[in-house]
Amino acid sequence: MAVSVVFCIIAGVICRLALFQTDLPIWLETKNEVVTPITAWERVEEGLALKKSMVSPYTGDVFHEVQPINSLIHLILFLKELSDFRTFLVLLKTIFTYSRLKSTPKMLHLDVKKYSVNVEDVLLKSKDLRSLPLIVVAVHVFNPYSISICLAKSTAVLSNLSIFIFIIRNIYKLDNLLLTTLFIAVSTYQSFYPFIFCLPVASYFYHVSFHSAAIIKHYIPSFGLFLFWFMLLLGISYSIEGSWTFLYSTYGFILNVPDLSPNVGVFWYFFTEMFEHFRVFFICIFQINSVIYSIPLAVKLKRSPVFFLYMMIFITSIFKSYPSYGDIGLCLSLLPLWKHTFSYMRNLFVVTCMYIVCTVFAPILYHLWIYAGSANANFYFAITLAFSAAQIFLVTDLLFAFLRREYDLYHGTNHKLENGKTTQVVLE
Amino acid sequence: MISTLLGESVAILVDSHVEELLIKPLPSGHVYFHFQFTTKWDESLDQPDSFKHYGLFPKSLGDVLTTYKVQELHLSQTQGLWHHDKWGYPVTSAPPGAELWVWFQPTITNIDETWSELVNALSGHFCSSLNFLDSKSTVAPRWSFRPHGVASEGYSSFSRFIRYGALPREIVCTENLTPWKKLLPCNTKVGLGSLFKAIKLYDANYHSLGLHVRPVCRNSECKETSIELSQSLSVVFDPVTSNWSLKKIFGDFLSSRCPLTTSSKIFVDITSNLPDPIFTLSPEADSIKTVKRGDDTRQYAVYDIGLQTANGRVFNIASRYDKPLEYTDIVKPPVSAQRFITGYGLEKGGVTSLIYNNLDSNLTVIYMETLPWFTRFFYKSLTLSNQGTLVQPYKINYIPGKDRGRPYHLEIVFRLRANSVTKISYDFERAFLKWTEYPPDANHGFYIGSAILSTVLPTSVNYTTPPQYSTVLENSFKDDSESYFLRLHTETLLVSLPTPDFSMPYNVICLACTVVAIAFGSIHNLTTRRFTLLDPSKKKGILAKIKGLFKRS
Repeated sequence: MAVSVVFCIIAGVICRLALFQTDLPIWLETKNEVVTPITAWERVEEGLALKKSMVSPYTGDVFHEVQPINSLIHLILFLKELSDFRTFLVLLKTIFTYSRLKSTPKMLHLDVKKYSVNVEDVLLKSKDLRSLPLIVVAVHVFNPYSISICLAKSTAVLSNLSIFIFIIRNIYKLDNLLLTTLFIAVSTYQSFYPFIFCLPVASYFYHVSFHSAAIIKHYIPSFGLFLFWFMLLLGISYSIEGSWTFLYSTYGFILNVPDLSPNVGVFWYFFTEMFEHFRVFFICIFQINSVIYSIPLAVKLKRSPVFFLYMMIFITSIFKSYPSYGDIGLCLSLLPLWKHTFSYMRNLFVVTCMYIVCTVFAPILYHLWIYAGSANANFYFAITLAFSAAQIFLVTDLLFAFLRREYDLYHGTNHKLENGKTTQVVLE
Repeated sequence: MISTLLGESVAILVDSHVEELLIKPLPSGHVYFHFQFTTKWDESLDQPDSFKHYGLFPKSLGDVLTTYKVQELHLSQTQGLWHHDKWGYPVTSAPPGAELWVWFQPTITNIDETWSELVNALSGHFCSSLNFLDSKSTVAPRWSFRPHGVASEGYSSFSRFIRYGALPREIVCTENLTPWKKLLPCNTKVGLGSLFKAIKLYDANYHSLGLHVRPVCRNSECKETSIELSQSLSVVFDPVTSNWSLKKIFGDFLSSRCPLTTSSKIFVDITSNLPDPIFTLSPEADSIKTVKRGDDTRQYAVYDIGLQTANGRVFNIASRYDKPLEYTDIVKPPVSAQRFITGYGLEKGGVTSLIYNNLDSNLTVIYMETLPWFTRFFYKSLTLSNQGTLVQPYKINYIPGKDRGRPYHLEIVFRLRANSVTKISYDFERAFLKWTEYPPDANHGFYIGSAILSTVLPTSVNYTTPPQYSTVLENSFKDDSESYFLRLHTETLLVSLPTPDFSMPYNVICLACTVVAIAFGSIHNLTTRRFTLLDPSKKKGILAKIKGLFKRS
């Protein structure tokens, strides 16, 4: 097993390195679907150039990353002397992917005792769990979305990394709330939306404590510690930058959506065409929309916090203001974790087709609009809308499958009425 | 009573007005007319109390200057582009569109607020769109625009009190000429002003209105300052056949001089008649003046309007070419610039400026560029090169832009090598605007203002410029300075931005909301309802459901 995982990783690294030798990276670096104004490598370079000439990168509107990321990239560029920077990024990513997967399947079911009889067909067996790391690694290293962000040198690689580390912390270091919240704070610090992961984390600690205290007693320390870490990080930024203007350039930029460059999300064209006096209202609605799902899911999925966390990662990556293939790559790489629910999914085929069609057509229609001038903005908008719809179908279908399987686990796979007739399971 | 009268008569005596016209036949066959009206008033701008008894100085402008604590004001409104390579240098350089730069007095408290009030006042005054010079198109240049007039030490070190703004899209026409000519003491009734017939003026290849107010030395000791108001009108005509006359070009004769002027003269540059005469002027000039300025020698035919129009005579200068004019190239101007857009598509783009130095010596220049916020300038892509080798600039002042707030502003000080071309290039990214931010003809494109090149020339070849201490052209004939300040405006640029579909805001809002609603609906459904077994026996028809509804209530 370990051999095939290592083989997979090596294959992935070779594949990326080979692609780096082509013209593909240059092409991908400018693709709106792959990089956003926040994660574009070009803008990071601009930030560095400004810093070099003693201009604060936040005085302008080109650079939106947080300061330490900038310093970190400085450091990485130093390492470039030793080894090729790109290889470094690739290795870093794959190593973390692997170590993440070594530890994932630890606890998927805690309350096996409550399950119904004759559910062997849907139970997760240790055989499945053993093959899981290989599948996830394989999916990750050959996932075109992951490859594309790696080739484009998007800084989303780094934000994905911090989420990876956070997941490992969450699952591996079972009892360390301090570190878990620190990693949420780090991810929030970089891309804002992960603050909502506090909910699944609290839910998780509630779960592993075997429901010993009221759930609220888990929410308070989770949020408290998270806020403490987050404030600390902002304080560090302030001490580096010497002013609070970076807040507007980073979080203000994420929340206010001033940059309307096309991306794969729903924000850009909506706010391009928005009537001015409704703008603030709809920005509030859309931003709330990206996190509001945590409340019903927290209630419904309180027994499966890891799945809840995955759902939140997925939903925020659809509804964030500047989504890119980086976020989608992360979600799709983690999707095989829920392989055991796939048999319950209803429209996997349709979703797969939508993904493929959108991914292929997006750059074509963008070219027709921007370069050829033979299409207009609506063509590209249609594609991004379809892509968002595909993601929504996938995430809701996965939720359905998960809940449906759970129903079967508790009620058995034979759906029989009292009179012995076989019937259907429906939502009521 | 007597003292009051005396005081007033003194107040009238302390201002003077000079009107001049410089005519320069260009080798390209065009004729360049530069009207220069200079009013000098022995009052100081920093003593607003003295702005009470107006003589020749226009009161409407004086009020604006004192209300907004203006130290220097420079406004130009131009239609058309000055071709440096064909026409040499103009007397005062101006970019296409409108340009305004103002130095405020240091006593000012809130400079940005005062600037926005000032541009609104000037906008009303000159019937132009200067009120669009908001923070999105205003910069504070550090080196390119130093005070032109007398200024205390405090101004030299920093640029806090200057504001510069340009409107490259501004169209200049009759409605701008009318308020401008109303500031002249004689309006257009008598004197040179009577030649301003809008229908003829706006038929020109190039047309530029200028208005410059600055403090100058009252006398050679320079212990006190006076205000100098300089109004200029430059026009370049193509007379089609090379013969031209005032009547043919402006549609009228000169019949009188403005009685309020101390001097009223016309200068015709007849240097091209040396050594062999190629055109003859009629009537004959009152005097011929040979001017040696630095290494440049020019000859002018001087006409005094007062003498020419004495006894009610009408005065018309006409130039007749004995043989067909041979169109020639001018002596290459010492420094010239060219700027253009590079790249294709609506996503990225670049700007390249070529700066030519035709002199045999190195020259230090300041290059200033202001880009609107929607063309996002990439500082890392800025390169200066000279014949393939990179040029290290001496100094760079770069202020990055802010979306919908501030333009990108760049000033570079660098050296132009002798007889070479220096290339400045950089990349920008085109922003996607909101649909309400596009002008009505969105696909026409957006203008980028001229880049500005400032330098001090060691030679005055082909360059007729008034000396630093006075804008009166005649003074330039006695100027013995050895260096000449030059400001050069390059072409404005037109960039297209990607446009959304303006016709379907409702559709977009509906479609995007639908997609969000799919997510919301599905998740709401899955989280608020439970799975149960479907029991067909419990299934009720619609009728039964309605009945049940009534029963409960």
